[in-house]
Amino acid sequence: MTINRISCVTPPFILTRLLDSENGEIRQAALATLVTTANLRGERTVRGLIAGALAAPADGRRSVYDCKGSTFLPFATLVRSEDDGPVADPSANRAFDGFGSIRQFFRDVFQRNSIDDRGMRLQGYVHRGHRYNNAFWDGQEMVFGDGDGLVFSDFTGSLDVIAHELGHGVTEHTAGLEYHRQSGALNESLSDVVGSMVKQWALQQTADQADWLIGAEVFTPTIDADALRSMRAPGTAFDNKLFGKDPQPDHMDRFVELPDTDEGDWGGVHINSGIPNKAFYLVATGIGGNSWEAPGRIWYESLKASTSTTQFQDFADTTYQKAGQLYGTGSNQQQAVKEAWAEVGIPVTTTPSLAG
Amino acid sequence: MRVSLATHGGLAAPIIRRLPPRVLDTDQLPGDAARELRRLVAAAAADPGAAGPAPHARDAMTYTITVDDSSDSTTLTSSDTGMSPAFGALLTWIERHLG
Ligand SMILES: [Zn+2]
Repeated sequence: MTINRISCVTPPFILTRLLDSENGEIRQAALATLVTTANLRGERTVRGLIAGALAAPADGRRSVYDCKGSTFLPFATLVRSEDDGPVADPSANRAFDGFGSIRQFFRDVFQRNSIDDRGMRLQGYVHRGHRYNNAFWDGQEMVFGDGDGLVFSDFTGSLDVIAHELGHGVTEHTAGLEYHRQSGALNESLSDVVGSMVKQWALQQTADQADWLIGAEVFTPTIDADALRSMRAPGTAFDNKLFGKDPQPDHMDRFVELPDTDEGDWGGVHINSGIPNKAFYLVATGIGGNSWEAPGRIWYESLKASTSTTQFQDFADTTYQKAGQLYGTGSNQQQAVKEAWAEVGIPVTTTPSLAG
Repeated sequence: MRVSLATHGGLAAPIIRRLPPRVLDTDQLPGDAARELRRLVAAAAADPGAAGPAPHARDAMTYTITVDDSSDSTTLTSSDTGMSPAFGALLTWIERHLG
């Protein structure tokens, strides 16, 4: 095989992006060009890049880029890759270390090899935008803002937030739940479940010991809020003059109808996630012990058995079936699942539907 | 000229939607800053990027920037995953000048 070189006028940031290409020949060509081009950003960075590119495209190798305030990701600079030690920037290190913990969590607990179970690279972007109050998954990468310094601080500060974003990647590569209304709220909830389990696993906390908060660290100290969300008590994460009371419901009776638009948060995906969040909390405390053991296994197997249009009721029924398959019909685990969904107003239906 | 920025969605969507809207009045800016803003608005209007988020984006925010001049009003909408560099430059400029 001949290795093509990519034109030397290709800017280095494009080349480094090409190193992450799924296509082996493109990776080789980008690497060959980087190695022979004088236009490099410093030896240590290049060594990390080359080590990353030479490794098998497996194992979820990490790369963290610094956006330096830009909103345009191709302008970002690679600051830490898999074989690099800690760097001066704490945000980059938190993203890098967070990815490492989450990668190990999926490998050790669910025997899953990275986001796609095929060793997909873990790519993070920090310092995105100016005073940017958010973190997101763009379909390929995880992106973190610094916060405005008034309400929000750096979004890499919460391991559960980093795991929430990576969890969106796992959901995309399994059920692919549509990001609207109930399937969207379920998508959001599954990311919060991943976030909570990773945090509890990292702290080695049982379900009873855990705080079940999502994003407890993202607010500045002046803000009177416990977290973005509470899985134990949806609707109680904050209540202050600046942004009011947490609107999350904890029961189907209080499901919030919102328009399926950006202003309506696509039917309230970050609001109605409170209902399945509470169900997971109830299952975890009902079974007892560690949330990532039986409760996590039931949820993970149900995620893999779900589809893009799965609704709350479908998911509840699937968790009940999976609990029976994994731990036995009538087992404590299956009973805990049944009771949890009943408590949030979604009693499981155990007889197959006509459509089923 | 009056510029307002409305932000929707994101990981903290329920909180973001309750934060007060943010408005910038160019009468309170020095002349060269107002000229720079006009230039950025024109560039973003010519190429705002995609209005909505990418199909697989999750927790992405969308932005509506409304520019009211004495004569007319321009509304530009884009998202975290769809915005052009020109829209991003305008957004960043507004964020910096909102203080
Ligand atoms: Zn999310």
